[in-house]
Amino acid sequence: MRTFRRRKIEERIFKVLMLASTVVVTASLLVIVGTIVVKSLPALRLSMLVQTPKGGYYLGKEGGILNAIAGSLYLASGATLLAVLLSLPVVLYLNLYTRKSSVLAMFTRFSLDVLWGIPSIVYGAFGFIVMMTLGLRASLLAGIITVGLLEIPIMARAMDEVIRLVPPALKDASDSLGATKLETALKVVVKQALPGILTAVLIAFGRGIGDAASVLFTAGFTDSLPGSLLQPAATLPLAIFFQLGTPFPEVQQRAYASAAVLTLIILVISLVSRVLIKRFTRHTIK
Amino acid sequence: MEPQPHLRIRNLSVSYGAQEVLKNVSLDVPDRKITVIIGPSGCGKTTLLKSLNRLLDSVDGVRIEGHIFIDDEDIYDPRVEATHIRKKMGLLSQKPQVLPMSVFDNIAYGPKIHGLRDRKRLRVLVERELKAAGLWDEVKDRLHEPASRLSVGQQQRLCLARGLAVEPEIILGDEPTSALDPQSSRIVEQRLIALKSEYTVIVVTHILRQARRIADHLAFLYLGELVEHGPAAEFFANPRDPRTRAYLTGEIS
Amino acid sequence: MRRLKDLLARRAMFLLTAVPGLLVFLMLFGLLLRSRAILAFHSFTGLLFGSGWHPLKGEFGFLPFLAGTLWVTLVAMIIAVPVSLLTAVYLSEYAPRSVRELTKPVVDLLAGIPSVVYGVWGVLMVVPFVGKVLAPLFGVYSSGYSVLSGGIVLAIMVFPTIIHVALEVFSAVPHELRETSLSLGATTWETVKHVVLRKGLQGIFAAVVLGLSRAFGETMAVLMVVGNVARLPKSVFDPAYPLPALIANNYGEMMSIPRYDSALMFAALVLLLVVLVFNLGARFILVKIERKVE
Repeated sequence: MRTFRRRKIEERIFKVLMLASTVVVTASLLVIVGTIVVKSLPALRLSMLVQTPKGGYYLGKEGGILNAIAGSLYLASGATLLAVLLSLPVVLYLNLYTRKSSVLAMFTRFSLDVLWGIPSIVYGAFGFIVMMTLGLRASLLAGIITVGLLEIPIMARAMDEVIRLVPPALKDASDSLGATKLETALKVVVKQALPGILTAVLIAFGRGIGDAASVLFTAGFTDSLPGSLLQPAATLPLAIFFQLGTPFPEVQQRAYASAAVLTLIILVISLVSRVLIKRFTRHTIK
Repeated sequence: MEPQPHLRIRNLSVSYGAQEVLKNVSLDVPDRKITVIIGPSGCGKTTLLKSLNRLLDSVDGVRIEGHIFIDDEDIYDPRVEATHIRKKMGLLSQKPQVLPMSVFDNIAYGPKIHGLRDRKRLRVLVERELKAAGLWDEVKDRLHEPASRLSVGQQQRLCLARGLAVEPEIILGDEPTSALDPQSSRIVEQRLIALKSEYTVIVVTHILRQARRIADHLAFLYLGELVEHGPAAEFFANPRDPRTRAYLTGEIS
Repeated sequence: MRRLKDLLARRAMFLLTAVPGLLVFLMLFGLLLRSRAILAFHSFTGLLFGSGWHPLKGEFGFLPFLAGTLWVTLVAMIIAVPVSLLTAVYLSEYAPRSVRELTKPVVDLLAGIPSVVYGVWGVLMVVPFVGKVLAPLFGVYSSGYSVLSGGIVLAIMVFPTIIHVALEVFSAVPHELRETSLSLGATTWETVKHVVLRKGLQGIFAAVVLGLSRAFGETMAVLMVVGNVARLPKSVFDPAYPLPALIANNYGEMMSIPRYDSALMFAALVLLLVVLVFNLGARFILVKIERKVE
């Protein structure tokens, strides 16, 4: 009976620790979002969202961060498009044409794991090298390429997970109806896995739009709206970083406001992906 | 007058959400006999077995009404410790579930948890239980290998030995031979028969022939209802309920 | 026609499948090429373990930055591993379904927050907390921009990675195995300790390694709160200067000082090599554990 009491106490201690941990994790999100929102309120105005920085903006004068919002949206969209074009075929090939144990499949999946783990600053450095080699300067295009590469492993791994779940019987059924592998891939597998694929795309987009370290070397920064692919583009994360780095409290407050905008974008993306999943799962076969 | 049996089920109803799985089941389980619960799949056999062990506690959305008494102690009394109840019952599941550790540690797991630390006594105990399960000669040289390396039949007997090691009063078998080959099934059945001299045994099965081979007492569950129960000979020779007759002749399954 | 299309698509997809492998190789190759300029003047180990950092004098010792990275990562993991694992255990073994369903989106959202936002929050809350509350409590002075601040921010960033993988690992442990342990009279905690954690050992290991590799390469959030002083930190209240922060902070001036750009590319190469070693090592150990536990 004594040992039983001890066992019970041990369980209770760990249960308290577990509950405390869960509270810490959950509270982190609330505290982070809460702090950002509260701190941004004094500076958050509509004018911030629809104007580009005017002269002296970083000293506390008039203006907004439209340049960075637009730049980030352009850059992340371009990068995500590039990543889809490079990831989806790879994932389809791995799942439809190769066996799981084939050397190519194992090597490619291992490479994706490695790429997933490579810090974004290293992508930045690599993008910088690519840029120099191609004779580009810091520009929207260079940023798109760098962030696109960064998104590939995130997207491909997420897609791989959902496409792997497509029941083999479904593929067989399509094949036996005389469809070519390509038709099976596009009409059956992609369609069946569509919600998952879209989620993967959105996750990658979210990572792309939020990443600062990779665009630092490659996209540059400008106070005007992105004009062409070959001109520098401002990005939201860098705008936050630069504004926070100024010694003026008004500008720092705008950094908080910009952070709130970026957080809002991320929240919306995550919400949209949730809705998409709900909406699309109705058409897929369980 | 016969003494009251240790295990009594009274008006037990179990439902998952809106679905009622067991309906007002009452049953006295005779001591030191093999009671076999039969019925088509999905009739609530496994639920009944798990409710004896309070394994339903952790299932989401489950509602349990009624009482199960062991020695006049209601196991669903909120003051009763679930671990204490479970220790009294050894469970043998459909597929052998070996714990991710060595053969030796599988058996020693329960006793260690209940406070037995002495290596020597543990060794004695492991040997005794492995012998009781008829497994000692096969594994005595492989005690420290991972239990997952044993054959499926050996694994199931290991599970039996492991259950016995915590000195239960009752052994619960949930279709314990369904994953085994005929040879191993026979060995497990023989062990169960041998064990009834010391333990109360309850086995769930949907194999009628197995029920005929091992049962002293039978209970027939159909759609969550306890249709009929009684001593084996009488049950097979003289089923009273038409549904039991239909089941025995294979009309419903 | 259909066959032709199929064939062409197959070829194209096959070629594209080479991209991930090629990319790893190209990154290694490109960074190595760019690091040659500095490696011509200094030895590999001399760079890694030299402690003097004076780019203007042509002195490039990465030890302070390596140490900074190690310190911050270590602090982050010391916080993140137990908290994440305990949370994952709670969610998978104890929490009622409603709590689980409510917490999972929170974890997902936490994973989605950009690192600059973590950085801003770190500056707003963690830095003052460490500087004004924790440091005085331990009787030391700290500006708050410190290893500890970096570690705390980083730990929160790593939570979702570890929790997510650990939850998957736990859900792969068969329910019957838990019932087996319970029916032997074990408590839920004992079942977790002896059965669930043991069965999921390699998965948990993978979760920790994933968290680790996410932590040590994180740049912006850490950069904003660690202080960036190129000295060996002596306590967690000292500032540090992790390797990624070094690269990010100096991109502006790197072209104006000789061999500086090469030194930074070398730093990137070191980060890449560490990731590679992590991945290979993790795989190796996983295979070993797999053999042992089965």
